Amino acid sequence: MNWEVYHGIAELLYLEAHLLDHRRYREWLDLLTDDIRYRMPVRITTERKDGDGLEAGMTYFDETKSSLAARVERLYTKTAWVEDPPPRQRHFISNLRVQPAEQSEEYNVLSYFHFCRSRASEHAMEQLTGERRDVVRLVGDEWRIAERTIICDETVLDVKNLSMFL
Amino acid sequence: MNRNRIRREHLEQLREKMSRGLFPQWVITDPDVYELELEQIFSKTWQFLGHESELREPGDYVTRWMVNDPVLLVRTQTGDISAYVNSCTHRGAQLCTADCGNRQTFTCPYHGWTFQLDGTLIGVTLGNKVYGEELKREEWGLRKIPRVESYLGMIFGNLDPNAEPLSEYLGDMKWYLQMLVGRTPNGVEVVGAPQRWVVDANWKVTYENFAGDPYHVVTTHSSTVEVDISPRAADLPPRTGYHVVLDHGHAMNLGVYRDVPERPYQGMPESLWPLFQQQLNPVQLDLLARSSIFTGGIYPTLSFNSAPHGFHGDFHNFLNFRVWRPLGPEKVEIWSWFMVDREAPDAYKRASYQAYISSFGPSGTLEQDDTENWARVIQASRGWMARNKDLSYNNVYNYLMGFARLEPNEDFPGPGTAYIGFNDNTSRSIQQVWLDYISAGIKEGEQ
Repeated sequence: MNWEVYHGIAELLYLEAHLLDHRRYREWLDLLTDDIRYRMPVRITTERKDGDGLEAGMTYFDETKSSLAARVERLYTKTAWVEDPPPRQRHFISNLRVQPAEQSEEYNVLSYFHFCRSRASEHAMEQLTGERRDVVRLVGDEWRIAERTIICDETVLDVKNLSMFL
Repeated sequence: MNRNRIRREHLEQLREKMSRGLFPQWVITDPDVYELELEQIFSKTWQFLGHESELREPGDYVTRWMVNDPVLLVRTQTGDISAYVNSCTHRGAQLCTADCGNRQTFTCPYHGWTFQLDGTLIGVTLGNKVYGEELKREEWGLRKIPRVESYLGMIFGNLDPNAEPLSEYLGDMKWYLQMLVGRTPNGVEVVGAPQRWVVDANWKVTYENFAGDPYHVVTTHSSTVEVDISPRAADLPPRTGYHVVLDHGHAMNLGVYRDVPERPYQGMPESLWPLFQQQLNPVQLDLLARSSIFTGGIYPTLSFNSAPHGFHGDFHNFLNFRVWRPLGPEKVEIWSWFMVDREAPDAYKRASYQAYISSFGPSGTLEQDDTENWARVIQASRGWMARNKDLSYNNVYNYLMGFARLEPNEDFPGPGTAYIGFNDNTSRSIQQVWLDYISAGIKEGEQ
């Protein structure tokens, strides 16, 4: 693996985490290609013979750039109560692995996430962990996210809502 | 006895306050109330377990919960649906921990006892060598949930063997369920697995939110109107909101257009219209044609929602059922199913699914804000003042909307008692049913 590619993609994901954590959602949208598919399947517990529990046939997110933009614009209204006062949030991104995809200029990127959120004066931190299976594309000389599948470890999400992006 | 226990006088006080449109705040999260609810409500009422479409083949199973009782729901070899306590009869270990799957037998991993789909104990490790003849296998089959009955594919369980039949319990709600899950010959199906997540909320609040509280929509959900995820009321043809009070704590909310709109049946595809005509009577058909929104509840913890939402004004309706499984007085685990008419065209099924995840469920742009507000109710319910049972701090909620001035609407064509516009009539009736259940747990003369 080309170190420059790896480094460029790592920078993209760290920049993304920074923008999300600082609620700069419109700028975050700019990191996504116009044809992005952004999905988060519902995960279920299955017997081992039945696979990894990712074929549940339902999702939490099944988004396009356009639908993500609508979700983002809502968060900028004055009545998106879930984020006003804004909770503090942190995306820890790690375990990055990069492999060339079928299309030139595209890479399959695996990363782990640990999302933490602190709401109001609550003592307990809400948390989610899992991995993201991305396709990252070089557009001109900029890296962009062209596909994301969010695989969460929990089958019963111990967060009040998914107002965040993962 | 603990002086904090609920006493007869508290019930009288509740009855008196509620008769004046007030609801004491302490009952929302009081731990003793919660214990009484487990005893008087959740052990006696019909609770939703799942939909028949989740169990298509013999051997298909799903695992569910009736509050704290684990349930194994299976389709047996004869095609029937059975529900068992998901707990081995030998030492009680949870028998099956997967959410769903297909099996011909269930073997407990602790000591290896094995059960058939009909609950029969067919395998005992080392069998007669260790038990001799004193083990009568027929006495050690899986224990059944005492009552399991279905209506239009909706499967319910009841822990009370003497409960009234589901059909009677649903009563007039059946008329509305026909419009939601029985409007096409092959009915609806669950798409995929239910979404599940945990929120800080009390089940009474979430149930009432869907069954009796369209008033919250104006404020809680104003953002989705602003960004064209929900229709703007002013852009819609003239319509009327009905609260419908039904027996047993069930309730409906309906938004109904005065005239059949350009896109009738909540915009559902034209190929379904003749099917609706086959299945529904003329009154139901007209109401469905003119409906803009349905929400409601089947007491105590099943709520539903059928409304048009979607991104950038591309609105589609959807059908969503959810259970508020109490995890205590301050938490519920939400199980949320997306359902769709089997006979609907694929393009509509897809659009309806997109509309659902855009608006409801944990990622839904409407439900996100609901979860924030339910949590706020919890956080303000723990205090000395809030929990004061003598109501010394005027710690009562306001249920006064429409109180003592709103007459039932005689023109509403469906069953139940209908009231027009925003009002608390359904909310008051729901909490009155709650009080009747709770009161049965406090015997005459006690304390």
